[in-house]
Amino acid sequence: MQTRRDAAILWLFLILPVGYMVAFVGYPVVYNLVMSVQDVTLGNLATWDRPFVGLGNYVELIANERFRLVVRNSVIFVTVNVVLQIAFGLAIALYFENRFPGARYMRGLFLAAWMLPPLVIGALWKWMYAADYGLINYVLESIGLSDGPIYWLSNPDIVLAAVIAANIWFGTPFIMLLLSAGIANIPRELYEAASLDGAGAIQRFRFVTLPMLKATLLAVACLATVYTMRAFDLIWALSQGGPIDASNVLPLYSYQLSFEQFRFGGGSAVATFSFVVVFIVALLYVRTIRHEKAM
Amino acid sequence: MAPVNIRDVRKAFGHVEVLHGVDIDIEDGEFVVLVGPSGCGKSTLLRMIAGLESVTSGDISIDGRTVNRLPPKARDIAMVFQNYALYPHMSVAENMAFSLRLKGASRETMHEAASGAAGILGLGDLLARYPRELSGGQRQRVAMGRAIVRDPKVFLFDEPLSNLDAKLRVSMRSEIKALHQRLRTTIVYVTHDQIEAMTMADKIVVMHDGVVEQIGEPLELYDRPANLFVAGFLGSPSMNFLNGTIRAGGDRAEFEVDGGARLPLPTAPAASDGRPAVYGIRPEHLLSDAGGTDAEIVLVEPTGAEIHVVARLGNDDVTAALRERRPYRAGERIPLVPDLEHVHLFDRDSGRRL
Ligand SMILES: Nc1ncnc2c1ncn2[C@@H]1O[C@H](COP(=O)(O)OP(=O)(O)OP(=O)(O)O)[C@@H](O)[C@H]1O
Ligand SMILES: [Mg+2]
Repeated sequence: MQTRRDAAILWLFLILPVGYMVAFVGYPVVYNLVMSVQDVTLGNLATWDRPFVGLGNYVELIANERFRLVVRNSVIFVTVNVVLQIAFGLAIALYFENRFPGARYMRGLFLAAWMLPPLVIGALWKWMYAADYGLINYVLESIGLSDGPIYWLSNPDIVLAAVIAANIWFGTPFIMLLLSAGIANIPRELYEAASLDGAGAIQRFRFVTLPMLKATLLAVACLATVYTMRAFDLIWALSQGGPIDASNVLPLYSYQLSFEQFRFGGGSAVATFSFVVVFIVALLYVRTIRHEKAM
Repeated sequence: MAPVNIRDVRKAFGHVEVLHGVDIDIEDGEFVVLVGPSGCGKSTLLRMIAGLESVTSGDISIDGRTVNRLPPKARDIAMVFQNYALYPHMSVAENMAFSLRLKGASRETMHEAASGAAGILGLGDLLARYPRELSGGQRQRVAMGRAIVRDPKVFLFDEPLSNLDAKLRVSMRSEIKALHQRLRTTIVYVTHDQIEAMTMADKIVVMHDGVVEQIGEPLELYDRPANLFVAGFLGSPSMNFLNGTIRAGGDRAEFEVDGGARLPLPTAPAASDGRPAVYGIRPEHLLSDAGGTDAEIVLVEPTGAEIHVVARLGNDDVTAALRERRPYRAGERIPLVPDLEHVHLFDRDSGRRL
């Protein structure tokens, strides 16, 4: 039987998380949504009384060349990152499944990269990318792959690739860790049964590892998408989105609109755009997880 | 179908040797059961035959060909694992036909093979199901089906029945035996259950601590165990052992149990008067009859078919499986008579049969 006190405690434990969600997630999202349909300037930022402009901010954005470039960059940034991080992460995770001496320490070393703050990693890579004294140009030149410095961060044709490479380096260890956990959960006997059934290494990967890892891969892809959708500090440290927006992505652009140009309505509209994408991916993620549990 | 020969095979994990030189010859079409207590190295040996563990030294040959260095897929053997190891993402039919799929067989061939095996095992209605939708016994059958489809030279089973309930275990036991009679493929079957070993095997290999204790037909091992270990391992309830001394001086050979009592011996081994030994007698070979050795009942356990009476004889307790229904009571004294044809004598130090 439930006493009144039990009921009170139940309500308390229900209200706490819900209250937290409403205050710290719901409110900012709604507030952002409201701002995105208003004309918000520095002058009226502190009041509630701002002119309503309907979808004006959105229309303006879509018409804007810059915004379209940023969307295109974001799509490339996220897609290439997710695909390559998972490909490399899977390859490295499988590699460490061969238990050679020192494997565990090496895997630990990989994680060290992921433990550094993105700003630090950005600064590091900025040095490596430096045209005149950077490590990368030095190596390329000394093995004869290029003659003369490559302007990794100031050539608009190259900068996005350079930023993507740095972010892949940053994101892969975590993906590897998640996939390693998934691989460790695949029963050994399945591989043994498969090799008795006549499967070689490639067939064991194709018929055992991949299908057994499907749910994990999907979940990891969702996570990686959300993670790279909000990439900010690493790019900020490397290129600040430049030159001329060649490496600019949605969160960075939203920040620039709001806090550098003080066009808060536009910034909010960009943020809403990102939010919708992330939200859909997050829903997919939750669905995958639930599906996985049901299996 | 093929003979399997194991020659002085050793296995070490790191510095720990777990198999200390095993020799077993398995004939073509034979059903051989490896039996022994947990940790004696049965699974390790089986996995070495399969190619899942490397051979530290010695030779394993299948069908006359040494396979030490061959990968599992080149050995033409099929294995049924204790927890079945079915592919969870494949249906029953796909599980069974997987080996054919790897060989690039056509859809029809795969379908035919899967239905064929399903027919033998009574899985016809389940071909489209996934392993998670099957009961333990059905999974067991699918795992066997997967092996049958392969039509291998040798079947290997590693405790395939240990996850099933007692009743199902008994029926699967006869199914596997019937399957063997039908297919006549060489089978190496690992179990720690001596009843499974006795009922299924053409030949039993008793293992203990990484060595083979005895190899032979089930009843041969039961009737003439080569040593104390085999004698105690086979049979339930297990054989009674009494420590004592052989007395062959008088006109009749006798065994003097430490602590006093005397038991008759059929004949005494030559020049054994005064030799310390172990007297072995199975519970079903102890009768209660006038003129027997006097013993005091400690415990009475009726099983239905028989009554197990535990009685004190000298310093040791013996169990007698008595068929005669009588209200035995603890504290009561009964005379026990051993069936002289079934008395075993073992050396006390080496444990070997005298
Ligand atoms: N991979 C391994 N590394 C180290 N030791 C192992 C390994 N596999 C088995 N052993 C050891 O080898 C011995 C034999 O193991 P095995 O699995 O063959 O026993 P078993 O007879 O099958 O026992 P059970 O009836 O419990 O299955 C055990 O002492 C075990 O600890
Ligand atoms: Mg075992």
